[in-house]
Amino acid sequence: MAIVVAHSSSATVARATRHFPIGRWVLNGVAGVGLGFILLPLLLVTWLAFFRQEIPSFPPAGHSLQWFGAVLNNKSFVGGFLLSFQVGVTATLIGLALAVPASLAIARRRFRGRGFIDTLLLLPLIVPGVVLGASIYVFQIETEIATGLPLLGTTMGLIAAHALIVIPWATRLVTASLAGFDPTIEEAAKNLGAPPWTTFRRVTLPAIRPGIVAAALFGFVTSFGNLEMSLFLVGAGRTTLPIAILQYLEWKIDPTVAAVSVMQIALIGTAMIITDRYVKIAQVV
Amino acid sequence: MARLELIDLSKRYGEHAAVAGVTLDVADGEFLVLLGPSGCGKTTTLRMIAGLVEPSDGRTQIGGTDVTYLPPWRRNTGMVFQSYALFPHMTVAENVAFGLEMRKLAKAEIEVRAREALRLVRLEAFAGRLPRQLSGGQQQRVALARALAIRPDVLLLDEPLSNLDAKLREEVRIEIRELQGQLGLTTIMVTHDQEEALTVADRLVVMAEGEIRQIGSQRDLYERPADRFVAGFVGRSTFLDGRVTGPGEFETAGGLQLKCRDGAPGAAALVLRPERLHLGGANMDNRVPGKVEFVSYLGPVLELHVRLSPADRVLVQLPNRGDAAPAVGDEIELTWHRDAGMVFAE
Amino acid sequence: MIARQRTHLTAAGLVGPATLYVGIGILLPLAILFRYSLNQFVPGKFMVDALTVENYVKFFTDIYYYSVLTRTVRIALITTLICLVTGFPLAYVLARTRSRHKNLLIMLVVLPLFVGNAVRAAGWMVAFGNKGVINASLMGIGALSQPLEIMFTEAAVIVGITAVNLPFMVLTLQSVIEGIDRSVEEAAFNLGATPPQMARRILLPLAMPGVLAGTILTFILSMNAYATPVLLGGPRFQMMGPLVYNQFIQQNNWPFGGAIAFILMAATLLLTLAANLMVQQRYRTAET
Repeated sequence: MAIVVAHSSSATVARATRHFPIGRWVLNGVAGVGLGFILLPLLLVTWLAFFRQEIPSFPPAGHSLQWFGAVLNNKSFVGGFLLSFQVGVTATLIGLALAVPASLAIARRRFRGRGFIDTLLLLPLIVPGVVLGASIYVFQIETEIATGLPLLGTTMGLIAAHALIVIPWATRLVTASLAGFDPTIEEAAKNLGAPPWTTFRRVTLPAIRPGIVAAALFGFVTSFGNLEMSLFLVGAGRTTLPIAILQYLEWKIDPTVAAVSVMQIALIGTAMIITDRYVKIAQVV
Repeated sequence: MARLELIDLSKRYGEHAAVAGVTLDVADGEFLVLLGPSGCGKTTTLRMIAGLVEPSDGRTQIGGTDVTYLPPWRRNTGMVFQSYALFPHMTVAENVAFGLEMRKLAKAEIEVRAREALRLVRLEAFAGRLPRQLSGGQQQRVALARALAIRPDVLLLDEPLSNLDAKLREEVRIEIRELQGQLGLTTIMVTHDQEEALTVADRLVVMAEGEIRQIGSQRDLYERPADRFVAGFVGRSTFLDGRVTGPGEFETAGGLQLKCRDGAPGAAALVLRPERLHLGGANMDNRVPGKVEFVSYLGPVLELHVRLSPADRVLVQLPNRGDAAPAVGDEIELTWHRDAGMVFAE
Repeated sequence: MIARQRTHLTAAGLVGPATLYVGIGILLPLAILFRYSLNQFVPGKFMVDALTVENYVKFFTDIYYYSVLTRTVRIALITTLICLVTGFPLAYVLARTRSRHKNLLIMLVVLPLFVGNAVRAAGWMVAFGNKGVINASLMGIGALSQPLEIMFTEAAVIVGITAVNLPFMVLTLQSVIEGIDRSVEEAAFNLGATPPQMARRILLPLAMPGVLAGTILTFILSMNAYATPVLLGGPRFQMMGPLVYNQFIQQNNWPFGGAIAFILMAATLLLTLAANLMVQQRYRTAET
């Protein structure tokens, strides 16, 4: 049996030297460039926040921490943060209250229309933010006309809309953690005499707690960072933090807006690190 | 088809040495089995031969050529992976032809050789199927055909039978061995299953903790294990702790005085193969009374657990000759030759 | 029978509230918006009830609006392609790395997603301005005497949107690549495939579901980009997202705004569908 190998001719050249893994280096290099591309804007904005002069010209004349103080004197940033925080927390709680039971049914029960409902609950993530904002805008107007209650531009109205965009994340994450939880463990609890509610409270809930924590974080962060939908729904003079940043940037860029951006990056980064202790972020995204 | 030499081959991951200085010389056409428990470095050794792992030290030569740092695609080794690693998006025929395409053979020749490889494993009829439409045994044979089609210098088998059920495993290992003999392929197989290893190997290599513990034939490993580990790993044994008190003299922890092979004085273990112990035989060096504590009826053989002293219990295997078997609680006399007792210093 | 009925009732009780909430909160508003898009806009009188397609006709017959759509589609296609090409190597490295820092690396990819588009656009504004990092560096080394106009160009918008969407592409691809058995790649190498051959013949076909999902996701996001074109493209650079907002909030033209919103959704869905079909055609044998 003759060895007919086109490129084994090169293999017959004796080589005892370690070969330089050039392909691996190129691959890692390209990947590094990709990661750098993702992170570069955050790094630049962070750098700007520490400039001494107000005008963003390079190289900087020196570095300073003064702009972080300036943020606290800016009413729209402080107000925007408080509103975003309030809306984020409340919308997350409402979203979880709706999504956790729904996830239990989707993951554990077989019923007609299950696939349809599963898709429906992901819809707020699929419909583009601008379209979502516009349609909820007209919906809230129609509701106001029908009921006479103020809705558009109120905090309630904003929270109701944000709860919608929390639901897809919460459903996805809680369903995933339920899927990784062996149902025979629940059966074991029932076999040992625990009624359904006790089984849920003592066995199921602790097991899916990481999923719920992740759902809460992702929900909050989605709401906190939402821009497009909120643009349609905020009232005059009452904006969320992302809108305040956008409006400021439409006017100018300076270290003050960079400083508030850094504070947002730090807040979200901290939230992610805390969540990572409960559930590895690499496994849920 | 080539001679394979590993010279002081090592692989370190940080502080941990997965393979620590393996030297082997495999003759052209030989079937060599690397045997050892999981984590002993046998798979890492195989992957270094294939070029999938770069060694930290040492050399690999195939057919006299140094391939130590050649990337896998420039060697001519055919590997059968434990998971088979069939390309799920290609048909059986495309899987088998893949290596030939990479060698830029003419289309007609690829077809001929792919068909020939499938004929070897009796799967010509399945050429158009996708891997997921095949049974586990058929997938295993596709993986083998794919490796054979490139006419490798060395065939590498990484636990090729571990995903098959027991009955199929026995058939396939004989089939692999016959094919290998027919084609005269230099073959390295990695396994942790000693029965599998004993069935197919020309020569066996027992590895533990990244090192070779013994190289030899089936008989070498079983009759003259190099150390306590090999004695325990190959075949079944009873280990009795105690000490060597003089030339060919052993005293167990339970105080029994036994005759055995020679060993260095001091703390040691006496190793007894269960089939070398007899019930009341004549002209034996050792004669020890005991009490039967457990009996398993296994068809061709009976297994007894016999208590010899409060600290010593031995496993005995008796051929089933159809006469009355000892029962639990029976008082019996065990006898054995001094050569049956192997001693290993602690 | 009774037990079965009870299962249905509890399931309904569990899933009902969320279903109603999303149904009323999204499907009903979309229906109302669509109905609005068929109304008439009469300057001075605001919105007048009607049943007409004139808003849709106006969009496709007015060269200004139509060009906004073609520009949006063009930018979405370009950014999606760049995301795919640059995202694949990063996704592959993240999927296959055995580094202790893998989780950290993935968090670095995820973090920018959560930080928001306005903040990331701000970062590019720092780079692109007349005295920004790029111009200052190029002029500093004497490569330029006049600053380049980067801000408020299509290039700036493309860079911005690409960076915004890249993490989505990377995370989608990474999870799919992680599901591909590493030994399949090794088998290809063992059979003589070089890394580029392996990538083309084995990795890419097997990663096709991820490529498709990532492409669709980033394409939808690009089509609907808002903050990036507003901040990096400037007031005169129009894409579909900002156009919807302007018609609604600044012009108060709800019927036309509604029509644009639906054209945007329809265009996104149609192009996604077309891409889906094309890819499936090409990789029909790869479908597993």
